[in-house]
Amino acid sequence: MTEPILELRNISKRFDMTQALDEVSLSLYPGEIHALVGENGAGKSTLIKIATGIYRPDQGEILLDGEPVQVSNAQEAQAYGIAAIYQEPMIFPDLNVAENIFISHQDRGPIVRWGKMYNDAEAILAQLDVKLDVRMSARGLTLAAQQAVEIAKAISLNVRVLIMDEPTASLSIHEVRELFKLVHSLASQGVAVLFIGHRLEEVLAVADRVTVLRDGRWISSHPREEVTAEQVIRDMVGRDVSEFFAKETTQRGELLMSVRDLGRRGIFEGITFDVYGGEVLGFAGLIGSHRTDVGLALFGIEPADTGEIRVKGKPQRIHSPQQALKLGIAYATEDRRLLGLNMPLPIASNISLPMLTRYLSPLGLIRRRAEVSAAERFRQRLSIRAPSIMEPVERLSGGNQQKVMLSKWLNANPRILILDEPTRGIDVGAKAEVHQMISELAGQGLGVIMISSDLPEVLAMSDRVLVMREGKQMAIVERALATEERIMTAAMGHYDREKGVVQ
Amino acid sequence: MSFIIRRFRPEQIRELFLVVLIFLVVVFFSIEIEGYFNARFVNRISTSVVVVAILAVGQTLVFLTRNFDLSVGSIVGFTAYFVGQQLWHHPEIPPLAAVALAIGVGMLMGAINGVLIAYGRVPSIITTIATLAIYRSFLVEYSHAVPITTNNLPDWIVNLPPLSLFFVGEVQVRVLFVIMALVVLGFQALLNYLPFGRRLYAIGSNPDAARVAGFPAQRIVFIAFLLSGGLAGLAGFIFLARFGNISVLAGIGLEFASIAAVVVGGVSNMGGSGTVYGAFLGALLIDLLENSLFRWQVISEFWRDAILGMLILLAVAIDYVVIGRLRVIWARAGLQMQAEASSEKPEGTVHVD
Repeated sequence: MTEPILELRNISKRFDMTQALDEVSLSLYPGEIHALVGENGAGKSTLIKIATGIYRPDQGEILLDGEPVQVSNAQEAQAYGIAAIYQEPMIFPDLNVAENIFISHQDRGPIVRWGKMYNDAEAILAQLDVKLDVRMSARGLTLAAQQAVEIAKAISLNVRVLIMDEPTASLSIHEVRELFKLVHSLASQGVAVLFIGHRLEEVLAVADRVTVLRDGRWISSHPREEVTAEQVIRDMVGRDVSEFFAKETTQRGELLMSVRDLGRRGIFEGITFDVYGGEVLGFAGLIGSHRTDVGLALFGIEPADTGEIRVKGKPQRIHSPQQALKLGIAYATEDRRLLGLNMPLPIASNISLPMLTRYLSPLGLIRRRAEVSAAERFRQRLSIRAPSIMEPVERLSGGNQQKVMLSKWLNANPRILILDEPTRGIDVGAKAEVHQMISELAGQGLGVIMISSDLPEVLAMSDRVLVMREGKQMAIVERALATEERIMTAAMGHYDREKGVVQ
Repeated sequence: MSFIIRRFRPEQIRELFLVVLIFLVVVFFSIEIEGYFNARFVNRISTSVVVVAILAVGQTLVFLTRNFDLSVGSIVGFTAYFVGQQLWHHPEIPPLAAVALAIGVGMLMGAINGVLIAYGRVPSIITTIATLAIYRSFLVEYSHAVPITTNNLPDWIVNLPPLSLFFVGEVQVRVLFVIMALVVLGFQALLNYLPFGRRLYAIGSNPDAARVAGFPAQRIVFIAFLLSGGLAGLAGFIFLARFGNISVLAGIGLEFASIAAVVVGGVSNMGGSGTVYGAFLGALLIDLLENSLFRWQVISEFWRDAILGMLILLAVAIDYVVIGRLRVIWARAGLQMQAEASSEKPEGTVHVD
């Protein structure tokens, strides 16, 4: 066997009271795709940050080609040929595509030669078979395109070790396949790829070797062909858990909302569906299918401009979130960090925020006790794991943050709950818990609209699946007929206007 | 349309708008005030805009990195006094050495800001409010409250402001204006053509990404403050030449004038976008309004500041509304182009397993 390019030996790292990493070792060989998995808090991110020089290990060493090296900042990591791509691509929105690719280069001379830069950027993108306008401002790029830019950047820097931290978390299935093609072509050029992922089937599909971390400790490393998904999950959580919780069958209740021919100019059109109480309506589609925009329209953030929304039979024009809340519609956003939660605020304040008027005393002051007791109820009901409800949300794990966000909107007593990517970036155990919660909510008569890029999740949880493609409704598939293949065909296939279905 | 979108950024359209606005202001006051627009007026504006415009260039560099430099007013005051005093006691100092001295002192003060902000991670608003006060106290302590007057200064510096390189009709192209123009052009070129310039934009555009992008982000922020200090030093020298009489109050309020200029000029207070040209246009518009309102009897002088304040609010509102809209249009057009590009792909590359 060849020598590893990068070796991490007995790395330990401590933050305050938490031992983030405890004697973890990892070797990366040229041309290998090495998957690193583990629940949130297992130490994956810390390990990556040590490899890229953002943190220094308390103990242990980093070897490059067998020689011990110090990696003390991102610049040095880059000089060693170590690059990282993060879940949220680290692009510069005010710069254009070509500038983003070359921003870190130290070797392109003292003066920016724009013409040459555009040509070089085009050449790199062509090599990757990515079609992007190099002059376009990065602000408008889709997440998938942003990741392509990051990969192009890594390639332009002659990367030897590429670390990908949950690159697929925000991508649709089609985009994931495209990404994996890129990853395989990088590996075939001798690049060692360290791949961190949450969706196990993806990880197992792409990896040559799988390493599991748990609670900051190394648990196992196996060649791909020697492990099964069940075994990896067992290693991750230390017990047997199934990855998905299938929705229980519930009684279909009354018609809560019917949407006819809804559209917003240039974004989506012709969206028609009904939501009944007790039912989960899944929204599937590739990224760029504008599923989220439909959710934003229903909640009044970006109102629709054509079509009709009827809530309990009455036509309504929803033009603000306040109004949507009054109609009993709540929307839990896909982006917890940016739009969903106030990270430095305590759990209780986050939960009461949309319904703050309910907690006001006659003098217009916030009644803290009412706020706290409401939050306490949700903590128990959704089993939010936190030392106290006064804990700032930023200190919670992704799964618990998601539960706080659910509580925040459930506190509004909605009849219709729109969930956008409810399990993005949260770990296996918490995922099943969130699924169970959604199922219970439906059981209590709520109508749930679940927008998700995680196809197995959509299949496990939905009574019906609405499939979108590029802003158009392609099909509504009943649970009994919903298979991965059928939905993907709809999501990527051709629309038959006459039949209103895909074939 | 798609050509415009590919070649231009929304911010450039905003600068065009500023040029039109400046033109409209001139037209408006030409109608309102008799004998308003003439060579003398142009000469006056071209002299009075210089100090703020140079400060605005430095402020732009700092703004691009999502920071502020509030200390520039005190740096101007201190360097003006310091250089003036040196010339008083050593009149033999050659002009270029005096300029270099001013820039050097300014850079030193900028370096202190830069070290604290870039390496000490103290927020710039706190650091520079503190140094604004500290540098001012330096000046008070150093000067013992003895003002410098024109009589103390060598002739060459007193005669510098009206000194012209050449004439265009009756319009004088003055040395100080030429220095300012070179600064504006030079720093715009620096932003466009040096990796340093592009990285200023990158840092303000996404500070988190800048930290992990593998370029020396801290050093770049430091240099931005260093340059802002150096430009404030240059502005201090010009301030000395223009006014000749320098007291401990010299340059008070210039930090706000420079910030007003960059904000009106479309440099984003969130960093990452804006140009030196824009900042210059902002300084020019404000200076033009100040000078014009002064001559316009309809409005009392007490309202002048309010009008400038409203202009700043208007500029920020335009930034958030118009630029926001333009960016959406740009992004959508971009996505469309992307979609068109990817639909050119043969269907065979898309397959379902």
